[in-house]
Amino acid sequence: MDNEHVGAAIEIRGLVKTFGSFRALDELDLTVEPGEVHGFLGPNGAGKSTAIRVILGLLRKDSGEVRLLGGDPWADAAELHRRLAYVPGDVSLWPNLSGGETIDLLIRMRGADPATSRRDELIERFSLDPTKRGRAYSKGNRQKVALVAAFATNPDLLILDEPTSGLDPLMEQVFNDCVAEHTARGATVLLSSHILSEVDRLADRVTIIREGRVVESGRISDLRHLSRSKIVATLTGAVPDLAGTAGVHDLSVDGRHLSCTVDPDGLPVVLTALTQAGVEALTSTPPTLEELFLDAYRDRAGAAR
Amino acid sequence: MSRPYRPATTGWPLLLRIALRQDRILAPVAIGVLVLMSVASAAATPGLYADEADRVHAALAINASPAIVALYGPVLDVTSVGELSMTKMTVLYAVFVAVLFVVLVRRHTRVDEENGRTELVGGTAVGRDAPLAAALLEAVVLALALGVLMAGGNALSGLDAVGSLAFGAVWAGTALVASGIAAVAAQLSASARTCAAFAAGAVGVEFVVRAVGDTGPGWLSWCSPLGWNTQVRAYGDQRWWLLLLYPALSVVLVGVAVTLRGRRDLGSGLVAARPGPATGSPRLADALSLSIKVHATTIVLWSVAAGAMGVVFGMIAPGIGDLLDSETAQSIIDELGGALVAAILSVVAVVLSYFAVTVVNHAGRDEADGRAEIVLATATSRTRWFAASAVVALVGTAWLLVVTGVGLWIGYVAADGPGIGNLLVAALAWVPAAWVVGALAVLTLALGVRWTGLVWAWPAGFLTLTLIGDLVDLPGWVKGLSPYSHVPSVPADSWSWGSAGGLTAVTAVLLAVAWWRFRERDIG
Repeated sequence: MDNEHVGAAIEIRGLVKTFGSFRALDELDLTVEPGEVHGFLGPNGAGKSTAIRVILGLLRKDSGEVRLLGGDPWADAAELHRRLAYVPGDVSLWPNLSGGETIDLLIRMRGADPATSRRDELIERFSLDPTKRGRAYSKGNRQKVALVAAFATNPDLLILDEPTSGLDPLMEQVFNDCVAEHTARGATVLLSSHILSEVDRLADRVTIIREGRVVESGRISDLRHLSRSKIVATLTGAVPDLAGTAGVHDLSVDGRHLSCTVDPDGLPVVLTALTQAGVEALTSTPPTLEELFLDAYRDRAGAAR
Repeated sequence: MSRPYRPATTGWPLLLRIALRQDRILAPVAIGVLVLMSVASAAATPGLYADEADRVHAALAINASPAIVALYGPVLDVTSVGELSMTKMTVLYAVFVAVLFVVLVRRHTRVDEENGRTELVGGTAVGRDAPLAAALLEAVVLALALGVLMAGGNALSGLDAVGSLAFGAVWAGTALVASGIAAVAAQLSASARTCAAFAAGAVGVEFVVRAVGDTGPGWLSWCSPLGWNTQVRAYGDQRWWLLLLYPALSVVLVGVAVTLRGRRDLGSGLVAARPGPATGSPRLADALSLSIKVHATTIVLWSVAAGAMGVVFGMIAPGIGDLLDSETAQSIIDELGGALVAAILSVVAVVLSYFAVTVVNHAGRDEADGRAEIVLATATSRTRWFAASAVVALVGTAWLLVVTGVGLWIGYVAADGPGIGNLLVAALAWVPAAWVVGALAVLTLALGVRWTGLVWAWPAGFLTLTLIGDLVDLPGWVKGLSPYSHVPSVPADSWSWGSAGGLTAVTAVLLAVAWWRFRERDIG
């Protein structure tokens, strides 16, 4: 089917948003196709939340094109919002309203009926106590209140801004299941995060931004190089020469200490070589997004020269 | 075996510095205005009277009017220039001092705790009683500053120096007691708003107990710290020992607060939060019902306070009937701040305007904290969200003035007062002026959420303008900037459709501009 014809769930072209002299969004492009989970990645302060607020019609754009579900989010905000659910990154609740009251209020404000929604089931799954007052909830529980309200109905679009930052691993699993259930019925999801692994699990496509600009955008499988691991090892025997090994980058050797970054494909070879040399200590960590961005920028700056 | 609770105050100097920095605008401005009022009164009052006989006559007229005594307290030494000059300052403005210190202490204790800032600080090398210690130390520093500036200002304006010292001490003492009250209130409830309600209630009780004592059983005046303000007789034959009661009471209150603090957890109150309903009522479904729900407790508390205040003053008012016959007496009272019931209402209207301000301020906090964002991401339009707060603010203020009017009327009838016109109409006359102030608060928020803090300045600013205008003879148009100045002194004057209509029209224009601006601006 022709995507131009169906229309993207979110379509942004050349979006600029400034706060005073600070350029929060600088010619940002973002296209979220119907039915996909779109990962929206970037370090803290990259402009993810600002972009989402423009998409929701909360902030006024300076220039560029923004279409939300085929409409203008600034002019038709209330009408468009009937078809979406939003979970902010830092959920603030009304101190004297209980969690249950807040969930039902938000569902009703979207024009749905809590009685026919999945609220009870979700409260159970997220093991949320709905009788607590807003001020008594921890960060994770406040987030659960917003998530239950968002997942309880069947919106066309879910906009989730760092939705798992306060959840424990068990609840993250429930969250992943909920996202899967909604995409199974055809919903579109915009998932903002600064955790690469989370987006890796859930998203079909990702857009990575830094300082208000798109750094990378495409299918996860095309951005495999982003999941390089950093390996630091202390060896008992002679340090093997990995310089020529496929998939090994940033190699540095200092006595018995070795560190490098390795593409997923290169891992078996590297690990075998290290094991043969005798391992005293070994850590393997995925690179932080910040490192990746620094790399991306360094590469680009180098290429330009 | 139980060990006595030992306060842990490590790290207070840093917190004190932060507190002083946070209040670097509010505290100097508020203290400056209070001192300015006092100095202006001290400088201007002697000139209002031709000779001592005239002054004594005025003082006797005040004492003869229970309504004025209830509002300002009696003049104990009728020959004292200082006491006559400080009529309004002694008790009524001391209430503003108390409110200021409640605001300051609450801000650095319960508000920080509710916002999670205390937790942030508690994770560092800071004792858990350090925030309270820092807040109270700041209060002591500012109370002393206020007292010294007051004493110096009054003395420089020509009042007796020793008396001015005593008077400065009275205000400092009022501030200390209010800080103690706020410290206790901050321990009782988990909510910053309930803390404010407890503290405001305690100051209100102080005022009412003194008002009843000053106009009836005299011993009651001694039960209220505000009653001591008069009894110190700062500008007469001073009772210095009485000044010791203020620090003594505040030490007791702080002791209570520290003990209570030791028995509760961070973020909780002694009054345990009850669990709420697991599901929401179908009536809680839009921005307006949300706004009403959020402010329901506040509305009930304000209504009880407004009604009680109305009844108390209504019962006191009939004693004024005789006074009205004497033309000289009436003109003297006019000079002192309006006639009779109207004088009370002029103060009540300013106080009740603060209801609108709290509602608008709350909307600003909803926006700053992200709750407005959650609502506006639903099918709720900006107009609806905005209107919800404006409606509750303005209708709520009108409602509170009606409650006050009904209270006045009930008290007045119960005390067999002579017919002096419809007291309900007298209260309603202030509604349009309070609306203008409420609409200005709404406009302030509409200009941008970062201006929200300024909404508190509107009622106090206009009150200051009126009071200073009376004392230093500002040009008419400057005084006319205050909406309160356009309200006829019903029931002494007659109801004016021109004033009511004009102020309502101004309200409508302000709200329209606010709405237009709010629809165009960024949220958050």
